[in-house]
Amino acid sequence: MDTSRRNFLKLLGIAAFGFSVATRPVLNLLSRNNPARAAIGIEPTVPLAGKKWGMAIDITACLDKENCTACIDACHTVHNVPVYPNQHDEIKWIWRAPYKDVFPEAEHAFKEATVKSDTPVTVLCNHCTEPPCTVVCPTRATWKREDGIVMIDYHRCIGCRYCMAGCPYGARSFNWFDPRPYVPEINEDFPTRTRGVVEKCNFCAERLARGQQPACVEACPEALIFGDLEDPNSEINEILRTHHIIQRLPELGTGPNVFYFTRD
Amino acid sequence: MDKRQLQSTEDRPLYESVTTSGRNFKLALIVLGALTLWGLAAYIFQYNIGLGVTGLSRQIFWGIYITNFVFFIGISHAGTLISAILRLVKAEWRRPITRAAEMITVLVLFFGVGSILIDLGRPDRMLYLARYANFRSPLLWDVTAVAVYLTSSSLFLYLALIPDIALLRDRGGRLKWLYQMLALGWEGTERQQARLDKAIRFFSILVILVAVSVHTVVSFVFAMTIQPMWHSAIFGPYFVAGAIFSGIAALIISMYLIRKFYHLEDYLKPVHFNNLGLLLLVMALFWFYFTFAEYLTAFYGNEPLEMSIFWSKFTGQYAFFFWSMVMFCFVIPVPLLAFKQTRTITGITIASISVVIGMWLERFVIVVPTLTLQRLPAEQAFYHPTWVEFGILVGCLALFCLLYVLFTKVFPIISIWELKEGKEHKKAEVREWLRNRPPEERAELQREL
Repeated sequence: MDTSRRNFLKLLGIAAFGFSVATRPVLNLLSRNNPARAAIGIEPTVPLAGKKWGMAIDITACLDKENCTACIDACHTVHNVPVYPNQHDEIKWIWRAPYKDVFPEAEHAFKEATVKSDTPVTVLCNHCTEPPCTVVCPTRATWKREDGIVMIDYHRCIGCRYCMAGCPYGARSFNWFDPRPYVPEINEDFPTRTRGVVEKCNFCAERLARGQQPACVEACPEALIFGDLEDPNSEINEILRTHHIIQRLPELGTGPNVFYFTRD
Repeated sequence: MDKRQLQSTEDRPLYESVTTSGRNFKLALIVLGALTLWGLAAYIFQYNIGLGVTGLSRQIFWGIYITNFVFFIGISHAGTLISAILRLVKAEWRRPITRAAEMITVLVLFFGVGSILIDLGRPDRMLYLARYANFRSPLLWDVTAVAVYLTSSSLFLYLALIPDIALLRDRGGRLKWLYQMLALGWEGTERQQARLDKAIRFFSILVILVAVSVHTVVSFVFAMTIQPMWHSAIFGPYFVAGAIFSGIAALIISMYLIRKFYHLEDYLKPVHFNNLGLLLLVMALFWFYFTFAEYLTAFYGNEPLEMSIFWSKFTGQYAFFFWSMVMFCFVIPVPLLAFKQTRTITGITIASISVVIGMWLERFVIVVPTLTLQRLPAEQAFYHPTWVEFGILVGCLALFCLLYVLFTKVFPIISIWELKEGKEHKKAEVREWLRNRPPEERAELQREL
């Protein structure tokens, strides 16, 4: 082998080695989720880091607030959720249902207390520990992220609606039509969906990445507490340790990460 | 194949169904074609605007299309039972029926798959089922099982067709080029026949196993969820029994029609209808047994969610569909089939039509009520199917019938070579039997005959 070819191969080898070593740090630096970016002043905010996101909802906060929809409006506005005239086609990521329907088995326990049968309770996707919806998706368009959020990839969803059948909480909605004409005001910072795909609450993953609280929590911090369940110092952890907690359909074994409590 | 055999008038009706077409055929083409076009128009409308043109909603997101899917896949069990099982147990009476049965299976599977694709929100992404397949999903088990079933039934049908294609090739005619190509050089030699028999035997066993798995995994789509009245262990056997039930009924109806319109009275005799009618009766009893077990268990358990769905079927929103199902699946067919006086060709066909209607209702009654009363009763919903869904159902049925009729114009609907084989077997059997008789008996028989 003559020297020029040999030198070329040497160069190629060094370049390959260097490439494999240097790529990761460079990409990390370029990645928006890298806390170091904030450290060196590129990124304005630090993304929220969490091992297991969860939410605690104070049921008593919604007492005497029959017409309050602050959390719903915040979520639906930020996420370009369309509004349809016919209830059949509705899409909702977070909504309210009467207490007796949300906790049919707990109905009796609070009969004498302040919470009544028709007290509105805020319900949303529970981002279960063992989601029955992700396992049945034929294309893995929905999956559970490492930090606990159950995600949907709108580009992969084929709209078979099996996840809707899998979810026992009715947390998912389907786009029966093209939603864009029905979104009251499009938020440019969040994608709109096409017709034919399923959607649901995503625990505001995009806001968490920017270091913000979920939209519903920001709209009503007294009723909704969001945080890392595995962080012993978080507010949610403290609430779960000190209050009586109930959950939706715990007997099904889905391990919901949305908890309900009352401030007494 | 000597000339004499080719020109013989024996078995002429079997060839005539292919070679001649009358007014009825043209009428069938027009009517079925028109209905198919209506279904196509409905689908194009849906494709352009979205699934919202159906009566589906956030609460009831699966309806007629999923019902059709389960229904069509169920009908596909016609071919398997008759062809494969009867071949394996060497039931000679199956011979004139096998091809019609196998044809139903192959065709109807396309409509089963088609119904799912029609139901998808993004049908343009249907290939993601292959590309991003998640094998933990019962839907993927479905895709796999149905794909294997479709492939093996098609091969099964084709293999059994080869000798008949060769017969048609040798007779000549307009489609000779097609038959030439498809006959694969079949000459009817002993070696070829032995190979064919082996292949058919292999496929018979395979197809039975696959068919059982197919409808079991279809049931698993529902049973593997934790929805009340779906999450039931009985679904596997229940669906398979229901599939065989509806499959036999569909086969009887098609036999009645080809017998009538192709004048095959000499081939499709009362004994064939009688035997299938008795099988249908047995399946009706099986179906009733499973249904009874399912609902009694739910009722006795008295779980609130299951009971709300139970009552919606027995006395509530879906009572009309539920009791119609019971009437069509059991009350009408069982007496017709149980008593010899009514177990005539007409009686058996009426029972079969009733069963087919009843089984479609049964699938509907399984899919929809569970979804209307999900765990948030405040969101109780109603399902009002629109013209789009009915149009597509009618279109699918019409296209199925149309393709079936077209098939009978290209290939003989009764397996000619198998009938001949049956005759040869019978002759050999009788010869052997005669040979073993004592001479006095033989002489007596000789005088008689």
